[in-house]
Amino acid sequence: MIVLVILLIPFIAGLLLLLNRNAAAVKLVALASAIVSLVATLSLVFTAQLSSYSVIWINFLEIKFALGYDGTSLIMLILTSLLFPFIIMAGMKREQQNVSLLYALILFTQSALTGVFLAQNAFLFYIFWELTLIPLYFILLLWGGEGRRNVTFKFFIYTLTGSLFLLFGIIYLYSLTPGVHTTDFSAFSNLNIPANTQIWLFWVLFIAFAIKMPVFPFHTWQPSTYTMAPTQGVMILAGVMTKMGIYGALRFLFPVIPLGVHYWQNTIIILSLIGVIYASVIAFRQTNLKTLIAFSSMAHVSLMVAAMFVLNYYAVQGLLFQVLSHGVTIVALFYIVMLIEEKAGTLELPKLGGIKLLAPNMAILFLLVVLGSIALPLTAGFVGEFLIITGLFQQSIWFAVFGGITMVLGAIYMLYAYQRVMLGEKRPGSGNITDLKRIDYIVLIPLITIILVLGIYPQPVFNLVEASVTTMQNLLVPVAEVIPALPL
Amino acid sequence: MVNPIPYIDLAWLVPAFPLLGFLVTGLANKSLKHKQAGIIASAMVLLSFLVSLVLFFILRSSGQNEATITLFNWISIGGMNIPFAFLIDHLSLTMMLIVTGVGALIHIYSIGYMHDDERVNSFFAQMNLFTFSMLLLVMGANYLVLFIGWEGVGLCSYLLIGFWFKNPAYNYAARKAFVMNRIGDLGFILGIILLFITFKTVTFSEIFSQAAAFPVGAPVITLITILLLIGAVGKSAQIPLFTWLPDAMAGPTPVSALIHAATMVTAGIYMIARSSILYNLAPLTLNIIIVIGLATAIIAALIGLKQNDIKKVLAYSTVSQLGYMFLALGLGAYSAGVFHVTTHAFFKALLFLGAGSVIHAMGGEQDIRKMGGLRKKMPLTYFTFLAATLAISGIPPFSGFFSKDLILSKAFEHSVILYILALGGALITCFYMFRLLYLVFFGEQRLAGAHPHESPKVMTIPLIILAVLSVFGGFLNIPSLFNGDSKFSNYLHSAVVSKASEELSHSTEIGLILGSLLLLGLVIFFAYRTFVSKSMIPAKDGEPMSFFSKLIYNKFYIDEMYTAVFEKPFGYLSDFFYNKVENTVLDPVVDEIGFTTARVGSLLRKLQQGNMSFYLFAMVAGILLFIIFILIV
Repeated sequence: MIVLVILLIPFIAGLLLLLNRNAAAVKLVALASAIVSLVATLSLVFTAQLSSYSVIWINFLEIKFALGYDGTSLIMLILTSLLFPFIIMAGMKREQQNVSLLYALILFTQSALTGVFLAQNAFLFYIFWELTLIPLYFILLLWGGEGRRNVTFKFFIYTLTGSLFLLFGIIYLYSLTPGVHTTDFSAFSNLNIPANTQIWLFWVLFIAFAIKMPVFPFHTWQPSTYTMAPTQGVMILAGVMTKMGIYGALRFLFPVIPLGVHYWQNTIIILSLIGVIYASVIAFRQTNLKTLIAFSSMAHVSLMVAAMFVLNYYAVQGLLFQVLSHGVTIVALFYIVMLIEEKAGTLELPKLGGIKLLAPNMAILFLLVVLGSIALPLTAGFVGEFLIITGLFQQSIWFAVFGGITMVLGAIYMLYAYQRVMLGEKRPGSGNITDLKRIDYIVLIPLITIILVLGIYPQPVFNLVEASVTTMQNLLVPVAEVIPALPL
Repeated sequence: MVNPIPYIDLAWLVPAFPLLGFLVTGLANKSLKHKQAGIIASAMVLLSFLVSLVLFFILRSSGQNEATITLFNWISIGGMNIPFAFLIDHLSLTMMLIVTGVGALIHIYSIGYMHDDERVNSFFAQMNLFTFSMLLLVMGANYLVLFIGWEGVGLCSYLLIGFWFKNPAYNYAARKAFVMNRIGDLGFILGIILLFITFKTVTFSEIFSQAAAFPVGAPVITLITILLLIGAVGKSAQIPLFTWLPDAMAGPTPVSALIHAATMVTAGIYMIARSSILYNLAPLTLNIIIVIGLATAIIAALIGLKQNDIKKVLAYSTVSQLGYMFLALGLGAYSAGVFHVTTHAFFKALLFLGAGSVIHAMGGEQDIRKMGGLRKKMPLTYFTFLAATLAISGIPPFSGFFSKDLILSKAFEHSVILYILALGGALITCFYMFRLLYLVFFGEQRLAGAHPHESPKVMTIPLIILAVLSVFGGFLNIPSLFNGDSKFSNYLHSAVVSKASEELSHSTEIGLILGSLLLLGLVIFFAYRTFVSKSMIPAKDGEPMSFFSKLIYNKFYIDEMYTAVFEKPFGYLSDFFYNKVENTVLDPVVDEIGFTTARVGSLLRKLQQGNMSFYLFAMVAGILLFIIFILIV
């Protein structure tokens, strides 16, 4: 039952918000709801018994409203419920338009995301997958920055196209199930689809996830969307939505079409590694801080995708760890981006500089987040990327080398950006900047603490996902003998 | 079964003190007044030194050679078990004593040197963090804990080189140091991963005991040692990753002393000495190290000949001396390398702190062409600087003589050509060091209006202590030639497996020493004639120079070359990807697909009222209907 509660809390709270017009109260209720969700999710970690919920939903189609979770979904649920309180706090003590609608939409998004991670059959998964899009679409369209109309439209069409492929794939899989048709994941993974079918079916299913993550070259919606999105929107997109793509791929591809995955494995790893280098190189010369971080996020997520397709033990452990680590780091980064924009009135790097002189504490916290982002040891990023590169190395030394270059390139573009914003002489633009307010500490200190604690003591996260990692890595092992990988 | 050694668990205190100092001075940044931060920070490092000293005696009296202290399991998944553990053995104790001992002196000196800087509290916080990182580096019981410290010192050098962050050139130098280190670190971490894949562990003792099963020249060991070497080349500023170190002098002078002497650059030497068992299995890598070390030693020494900034001369001398240490490592004489690390820590810290004292007295002036005659104004600084100069030049009985002579004789055993080249570098070193000494302290004062004065006691006392160490430090390792028993090398014997080599006969050795002394004497005399008797001052900037002078004055144009070959093309590549690939190819293609869809959509819009939210609800409903339709039909 707890899973149903976790799904419904944000939804009901969101409905309640629509009735209220007091901005401050709305934000507090939203925050309270998010904290309750977090507590409820964490209770799943500490209860030995797996919680699940299932009722017949659409009777004649044998479609159940079935919720449940395993280690992988649990990491995703923790990520979601952990980030949303911070995402909500990012709007506190700030002037915003149309507050009750905004926070209702944020909570609806949370509910839909939770649904994606809890769904136990493909039909339900797909419904929630599409439902995440609707509130987010309005958040981007109504609260976005310059050019939001065109950019949102592009984002919308892009992801919808991917979804249509996914829908087709789900229906196809449904039609293959023996006896009374079903969309249960468990049934899908016992289909034993012929190898030739798996090879084309792979792309039908993968495209939707590839766009969400995004994988090169399906990423072109991302930089412009991130740049124009309001802070809370971009936090949802970068912090949680990217992981939804990863989660979908883990659920649909590996158990259902292992032969197809194996066949395309090296292709996707190489595309991802191209994405890592491509995005890192582009980030270096970006003049807008938010766009720069959008490309940096793409680089980090691409490395996670490469790890996913290597699918050995360390790679998957690293991947799931990095899901948390990247989520927390990127939310902290975008929070700081918001602060800079608020204070300096611009995110154009050539106009910024010398902020450290006026806001030394902000400079220190920004630096700590940057260090987490470039995976310095004792931050969470290091543990994740170390395991991922170990996993890549087991597949090929060259994968490890190209994946590892992100360590160098990340240092190049992040420190360059940091210097241009924070260091140097005061610029006219940074005239009346003040240091952090209390709310900023309340948001940033816990996020940075998580980054450091996970880097120093990552063991609890490993233990949480251990079982599902072992299951997952076993998926591809027997396959290797059945079908050769696409020769390179 | 190894018996537990009582009180050895106290080892965690050694890094804990500077960490505490970092937290206190960092968090109480605003409320600490006057010299409080400096005193706290110095006391913490001094406490670490005392604990290290106690550990030294505890280990000695226990009769055992090493002890491992495990704090907690850092990463433990599947077959990977990486504890957060410290290894206390003769090598790590040696390094701990150097880091905390010399480090403490530098901290104390900084109380005086930095007293009027407005961000002095941040400075000491970062210095403590630096010491902490370096201690993790030398104390780690496995490669990954070592790597924490390894990247930690990289971070601290970034912070401290860019300490005066208003200056864009300093910020650039700081980033350059970090990025060059990171290039090395990438090699290093890949080496660690390959170690893990090969040995299923990253713990030193477990790897080294398994390594015996590999034959000499095993490809995987060669690859591992080369990857680790890339890390060492970055951290210890060897060719081709050395250009960050001379620029690192952008930071306050005590930082240079810390980076060049006690911490950071010695890390690469330490790591290779620590991995001696692996390197002994990889003759190919050892030969690469010889070439890199010797080339770095000579090229950096040549560049040192023509530099006019007091700190830059010293910086290139560090690069050059590190080259000698690499040479020793390449020859398999690891303990000789570590011995040179030790004596170098004494005299290089002294040189930098002495230079700081000079700069302090000259009101910030660093150009040696404008100095001169300081001998009389600052006698203490002069005498200590002289001691260090004699030590680095390898004049007996100063410390540098013993360590350098050890390396030179190993080179002679290997090949005469190697010896001649190494000796040549040593002669150049002697020349540029005496050039520096004479230009700064001899002749007449050339900067008008300056009133040089001796530095306060808090600065001169560390100088005196370091001078004593620079003079007598060599006696730690008196070779059998002088009836000594090579204490230092023997002490390291249990931790570092040096390659066996034939000892030179005493008569050969005496001959070599006498020969090199004669040449050194000539060089000093020549330098004296040039810079004191003839009072020659190096040419002003912009004056015409011979081709060769110009080449070394401009540091062989290596920085310019890197800018042209790497930095600029990287920028172009970034622009090309963004402007051409992203915005000319990928994005428009997708847009085209999108617009086509939009055109279809606008046709459909005529059927609706154009309400977006209605579309969205229609979409979900449509999806449901679509599924139902397909399934029923």
